[in-house]
Amino acid sequence: MASLIRCPHCGARPKEEFTIRGAAVTRPQPDAGEDAWYAYVYLRDNPMGPFDEYWHHTSGCRRWLVVSRDTRTHETYGVRDAAAVAGESRS
Amino acid sequence: MTAYRLGQGGRIDRSRTLGFTFDGTALSGHPGDTLASALLANNRLLVGRSFKYHRPRGVVAAGAAEPNALVTVGSAGRREPNSRATMVELHDGLRAESQNRWPSLNWDVGALNGFLSPFLSAGFYYKTFMWPASFWEKLYEPFIRRAAGLGRASYHADPDRYEKVWAHCDLLVVGAGPTGLAAALTAGRAGAEVILADEASEPGGSLLFDSASVDGQPAGQFATQILAELATLPNVRLMTRTTVFGWFDDMVFGAAERVSRHVSQPLPGQPQERLWRIVAKRAILATGAEQRPLVFPGNDRPGVMLADAAVSYARRFGVGVGRKVAVFANSDAGARTAASLQAAGINVVALVDARVGHPAAVTVPRIFSGGVVSGTSGSRALGAITVRHAGGEDRFEADALAMAGGYSPRIHLACHRGGKPRWSDAHQAFLAPEGLAGLTLAGSAAGARTLGECLSQGAAEAAAVVADLGHTGTAAQFGAVDGDVPEGSVRALWHVPGGKAFVDFQNDVTVKDLGLAVREGFSDVELAKRYTTTGMATDQGKLSNVNAIGILAEARGVSPAEVGTTTFRPFYTPVSFGALTGSSTGHHFQPVRRSPLHGWAEKHNAVFVETGLWVRSSWFPRQGETHWRQSVDREVKTVREAAGLCDVSTLGKIEIFGADAAEFLNRVYCNAFAKLPVGKARYGLMLREDGMIYDDGTTSRLDENHFFMTTTTALAAGVMNHLEFCAQTLWPDLDVRMASSTDQWAQMAIAGPLSRAILQVIVDEDLSDENVPFLAAKTVSLFGGQLEGRLYRISFSGELAYELGVPAGFGEAVADALMEAGEPHGICAYGAEALGVLRIEKGHVTHAEINGTVTAEDLGFGRMVSQKKVDFIGKHMLEREGLVDAERPRLVGVKPLNPEQSFRTGAHILAKGAEATLENDQGYVTSSAFSPHVGSTIGLALVTRGPDRHGEEVVIWNALAGETVPGVLCDPNFVDPSNEKLHA
Amino acid sequence: MPEFALVSRPALPHSPVGDASRVRIEALPEGHVLHVLAAGGRDITPEQLASLGDGTAHAVRRYAPGQWFVVGNEALGSKEYREKAARLGADAAVSDQSHGRVRVAVSGSGARSLLAKGCAVDFSPSVFAVGATAATLYNHIGIHVTRTAEDGFELLVLRSFAQSLWEDLSVNHGEH
Ligand SMILES: [Zn+2]
Repeated sequence: MASLIRCPHCGARPKEEFTIRGAAVTRPQPDAGEDAWYAYVYLRDNPMGPFDEYWHHTSGCRRWLVVSRDTRTHETYGVRDAAAVAGESRS
Repeated sequence: MTAYRLGQGGRIDRSRTLGFTFDGTALSGHPGDTLASALLANNRLLVGRSFKYHRPRGVVAAGAAEPNALVTVGSAGRREPNSRATMVELHDGLRAESQNRWPSLNWDVGALNGFLSPFLSAGFYYKTFMWPASFWEKLYEPFIRRAAGLGRASYHADPDRYEKVWAHCDLLVVGAGPTGLAAALTAGRAGAEVILADEASEPGGSLLFDSASVDGQPAGQFATQILAELATLPNVRLMTRTTVFGWFDDMVFGAAERVSRHVSQPLPGQPQERLWRIVAKRAILATGAEQRPLVFPGNDRPGVMLADAAVSYARRFGVGVGRKVAVFANSDAGARTAASLQAAGINVVALVDARVGHPAAVTVPRIFSGGVVSGTSGSRALGAITVRHAGGEDRFEADALAMAGGYSPRIHLACHRGGKPRWSDAHQAFLAPEGLAGLTLAGSAAGARTLGECLSQGAAEAAAVVADLGHTGTAAQFGAVDGDVPEGSVRALWHVPGGKAFVDFQNDVTVKDLGLAVREGFSDVELAKRYTTTGMATDQGKLSNVNAIGILAEARGVSPAEVGTTTFRPFYTPVSFGALTGSSTGHHFQPVRRSPLHGWAEKHNAVFVETGLWVRSSWFPRQGETHWRQSVDREVKTVREAAGLCDVSTLGKIEIFGADAAEFLNRVYCNAFAKLPVGKARYGLMLREDGMIYDDGTTSRLDENHFFMTTTTALAAGVMNHLEFCAQTLWPDLDVRMASSTDQWAQMAIAGPLSRAILQVIVDEDLSDENVPFLAAKTVSLFGGQLEGRLYRISFSGELAYELGVPAGFGEAVADALMEAGEPHGICAYGAEALGVLRIEKGHVTHAEINGTVTAEDLGFGRMVSQKKVDFIGKHMLEREGLVDAERPRLVGVKPLNPEQSFRTGAHILAKGAEATLENDQGYVTSSAFSPHVGSTIGLALVTRGPDRHGEEVVIWNALAGETVPGVLCDPNFVDPSNEKLHA
Repeated sequence: MPEFALVSRPALPHSPVGDASRVRIEALPEGHVLHVLAAGGRDITPEQLASLGDGTAHAVRRYAPGQWFVVGNEALGSKEYREKAARLGADAAVSDQSHGRVRVAVSGSGARSLLAKGCAVDFSPSVFAVGATAATLYNHIGIHVTRTAEDGFELLVLRSFAQSLWEDLSVNHGEH
């Protein structure tokens, strides 16, 4: 029926407004080597529990978000702008 | 059993009479009646046949839990099968039919199943339809299909409108009985936004038939008074006929409002039903408790019903369920029922209390303490009952039996998000899970046993919620409750041994079936449910589940706590497909996107085709053309020889701004973009990270920090999402910003050797090849400075061609002007089909070729892929062994050896002389069309080592169509391979 | 071709539906819609944004972080557009969406309930006051909503979806 994602820019919105891309994995450096790139493109964890995913607020602010949720309960712990998350991991 | 309308009482409007029919017989009732109460008032006791044994069945309940009285209501597109007669409000002209009987309700051939019942025990289907396997399709499946289901769906289209609506509130109160009213009043007075939803037509719940009084007022009057105060509070919304059917993630509740089901057809402008999605900060479940039937031999005979139902029929609907009513209970609810019925003027002949030593406070001719009903008799309705007690057995006449087997709190919604119910020995019932975030239960739903407790709990819970939400308010206080009879101690009585005792009425599951399930190893509650089908009918076991668990527990010698419950899932009661679909049906199934040139295309007699959400012009038939090929061939030839105009507005268009826009494009395209000069367009290829091509298009540099990208129509949205992903998550440090401008521009392709001359009529600037060379991209002035447009010299057809973009609203006027200017030159409108032929003739690819399995090298774009760039999307997977394999299928042209022969897209390529097997498959045709230029069918194909095999004879094999055509591989560029026309 | 008549074909050539006492749906003039995109990290002041508008209330509407729509009833010539676009210099890019997006007004006491038939946004005044905006969906169609009055809303919709949105609103208008 419904579930709501709390977009940090738009507030609580139904999941229909979003596009889910999957695990929020970090793109390797260009020279990271074959194994790292292979893992980035093809290998995914499938955890039972907390999970960080990229969600796009396609029908809202069109920002990419990192949604932290529990795959067992769909409880969301936090939703952050992906650019801010990328900034944090860089600094 | 002889049911009848009482001389007085009830909340029905006796001043008005409503006519209705049941199985064609004309009957009457009053406003305020349900179909069930009206049928009882007319002494129509037999209302349905059970699912498996086709046993005669009567009304058991007075509300949503009714398992037996399922009827089909209405006709044609408004026909609703499996409607619970207890929930159908009577209206004038109502047509109801019984179900699951043939030829008639009274004489039903299927009842023969009853004689076969020894063979139709639990697991019957699993055991019987096993072998021989060949019987399955021809015999078993059709048989099961005919037997399955109850009422039949209508084949007529539903004429009514349905809506889906969002609502928001501080507090959702589910159930408008005493608890819910107290909660809503408390929260409403405190100023909270409250939604109070109740599935019944009239709010009040048990107050509508309770014989107690509050502060000296009869319960019904008390309800009216509270409702009157609620109506004065603008922050309280009361929703009746609204079933809250599910509790979903993040405090969203689903509710179905039966807006117009109580009238023969919706009032003007009103929908039939409304599906609500209610976002609540908090919720209180005041859903009450379900009275349980008792499981004893013959407990399914029409006339046996729930005690509260019997009281409700008497006090709310003014119907006596019998002239000689017996009461059977395992608690003080028995005496309470007897007293209530007597107060309504109904003759109570016996009270059977399963407990010993609980003297009844009523005067009834026969009182059996420590007795049980051990049998019933009567042909189609109850005539007599047998009571077994310490002194032996007594059989006496009774035409109705009211049974009270304890209460099960209605905790369904509380369990929808994974919480498990807890067994309470004290309540002899399952209670809701503990620690539910945002949701609390109050009143009977939480195990309260008296009206006074319900009122105070409802008020207290609401006071706690509003305080938590920052409102100030106190729990509403009510006067003293008089005549409140608590249930007292309950004797666990899961079943009375003897004959056939039904646990699940709708699916005909008996005590014996459950015993069999345990003996055969299906004693786990989930297995027993599926093996016996208990709780799997349309009522989802509202009356049967807890009894079944108790019986399983007894059989296993454990506590019901150890057996546990099956999983509760939405929906609480059935919800119509109409409500779930809402307004998204027919023409409104999905949005339709119209090009700004739609009107222009219509004027030129376009045939349209749906492409995703878009409606595109496909071809433009002219007088005398009777086949689409005639139109398409003419359009293609006209473009090659003169000029044509095509609507390409549906291509994705993205404005890209920023100091780092060029660098950004350099990273998202595999070819170089950083040094694209201002005023130039370039063809670009986007890869996926796995190295395969994602999309293609042209991107123009309009200014140092401003680019204009086009994408394919199909991937316009996907590319925009992808670019935003790259900009925001991969390279947030780049200054790049994007705006979709697909809808801003009416975009038209003007193609053909005469296109320049035609365009020059409306474009103010000189369009000579020196001034606007191939791949020029510039802003131009139109019509002597009246309008600005963007002109791109790009070509999909291989001809001299331009794309002109003008602000969408002006598109039609500009296209009209171009057609007028082109008329002396023989211009024609051409559509997506001709565009497809032109690009195949030129060997240009689309998503028919870019199908997720091809690399740039496969399509002959290998040299475009930058070797210099350190990084771009897709670079790092490109060198993998499989992607550089020389044997990979690659783009090649193909045509039949004999021009008279044809082939189709999807056909496979075999080496000449090779046997037609999958092992010998060398590739396949990705696109094909009849080429007026070549004079035969031509195709593009992905064939192993294709580019090295131009001129080689092959076989074009289509096993599906049974076609084998000798062909030859060739250059995919069938027209003007030296590109002279393009650069003219 | 100087005799050319510059005629714009409206996306919604419809008369208003309903009456203002309950709920009214009206296509607004196809004037101007400017999409403002701030450069990364640049703060655009409300005054800067207001300088792009026509001075009417709610001309500037927040869309997303660093993005706004500036709307008005008057169509802008390409010269005026370029002049406005240059006004914010390198601080922001301005994309002309005057033909790409169409405005629809929904007004009246029933406006909120009409919007609730397609939008999940909570439009109660305490949450969504006059001037508040939201990019969201109406059924399956992306819209940008602005509350312009207690009982007044403006919906901005992509031109190609405008007709479908109009039909959805009209169908849901039903009871009002
Ligand atoms: Zn958002």
